[in-house]
Amino acid sequence: MSALRFAWDEARGVARLLADTAQALLRARPPAAVVWAQAFDVGNRSVFFILVTLGFLGAILNFQTGFQAQRIFGDTSLIGAATLPILVRQLGPTLVGLMVAIRVGTGIAAEIGSMVVTEQVDALRMCGAGPVDYLVKPRVLAGLIAVPALWVIGTGAAWMAGLWVTHLAFQTNPATYVNLDLTRGADVAEGLFKAVVFGILIPVIAAHSGLQARGGSEGVGRATTQAVVSASLAVIVLDLLIGAVAFGLRGGAGA
Amino acid sequence: MSDAVARLGAGAIALAETVGALALFTTRVARAALRPRLDRFETWRMLYRVGVESLPIVATTAIFAGAIAVVQTGANVVKFRAYEVVGWAFGFSVFREIGPLLVGLMFSGRVGANNAAQLSTMQVTEQVDALRALAIDPIEYLVLPRVLSMVLMMTTLAVIGNAFAMVGGIATSWAMLGVDPWVFWNSFTEYVTLTDFANGVIKAAAFGLAISLVSCHFGLAVRGGALGVGRAVNSSVVASAISIFVLDYFITWILK
Repeated sequence: MSALRFAWDEARGVARLLADTAQALLRARPPAAVVWAQAFDVGNRSVFFILVTLGFLGAILNFQTGFQAQRIFGDTSLIGAATLPILVRQLGPTLVGLMVAIRVGTGIAAEIGSMVVTEQVDALRMCGAGPVDYLVKPRVLAGLIAVPALWVIGTGAAWMAGLWVTHLAFQTNPATYVNLDLTRGADVAEGLFKAVVFGILIPVIAAHSGLQARGGSEGVGRATTQAVVSASLAVIVLDLLIGAVAFGLRGGAGA
Repeated sequence: MSDAVARLGAGAIALAETVGALALFTTRVARAALRPRLDRFETWRMLYRVGVESLPIVATTAIFAGAIAVVQTGANVVKFRAYEVVGWAFGFSVFREIGPLLVGLMFSGRVGANNAAQLSTMQVTEQVDALRALAIDPIEYLVLPRVLSMVLMMTTLAVIGNAFAMVGGIATSWAMLGVDPWVFWNSFTEYVTLTDFANGVIKAAAFGLAISLVSCHFGLAVRGGALGVGRAVNSSVVASAISIFVLDYFITWILK
């Protein structure tokens, strides 16, 4: 049960860092230039990665769905309408969250971790600049800005890839594919909410792992691995919880 | 303008270099695998570390993957009163797609990242050079056991993960949608075929191979101290994620 114990300690540490960050944000806002530089790091540098991965995801999703629809209903005209809501509210935010955990989470943990083991964070402390104020705060704000944007871009890429693959595999007319009938405002709200939560939480988890790095390059490696595992797991767990709450809020009726 | 073009070109060259280096690395590993001289001790150790130590995270991920699949199909199930197809929808989506995909991404984060970190630490502390000085081929001694154990264990973990996903799926559809576990089970066994199962397992094996090759490559190709180790882990998980999605697409396409 050491794994459970570890997960509990990790969750508590992350919660404390989140509270510290919120408190620090209330005290003073970080300079806008720093936040935008971080948002560029989180967002723009991940765009290509998100486009590739989510593009393939959209292609796979529509291909699998179309294949099933063809086998069972013999009709593939509703693929686009059926896959879009699930893309918007679940696969889009979750996979974007996982990709950000992978791309950005490791980056943040590696950067902060190597600052810790080379004692740069201690030097910061000596100058009266705490790591929360100086390192964590701007990254959390950057995540809050960049991840919802990446959610829009990633979901759009997956949707477009789906258009292409259904046209290729099932000769679906692009005009038939572009069908928003089954997508509700509630789906968009659920997706956006998830993206915002992931945007705040992934930098906090990664920074927490980075700040715990101990001992040379081995420690940095361990912190980086820890960051990607914890952040990915947090995304998956929260995806389930938020999805279940949203299902309950809709009254379970699916309308 | 010329700046943007230059940056685009630099990116393209970097991408081509990475793909080329990976291909060269793969051929070297393949050549070493033709006349395998596996270090038995190292192989056992890797099998244990890769398989047993990532089991908790894979089991957790699989339970959640099964639960998420049920939650997300829940709306349509309730709307169309299609309670007797929950098992089918679950089995098809989880066994074929969501299971291998999420387990693969977690495996890449847990095992692949760990492996890249370990190999790159050995590289920057010149332990790999020390191996070479002792006339031990790092590909044979370090890489082959890792590739073998990651492929074997990823395949095994996908099968075990499917079982855990069943638990998550059955529990969630019972608690949230009020679907009797027996109804779930019957619809599952009636519609989900061995092909769906095999499809996912084949994908998992391919993901394991890709993750092992990518993480070993980026681990051994590291430059510079502690920061380099972090960067190696970062590149390894990013490249693993891209190869997982690309492979997933093509395997789906080929196997149908």
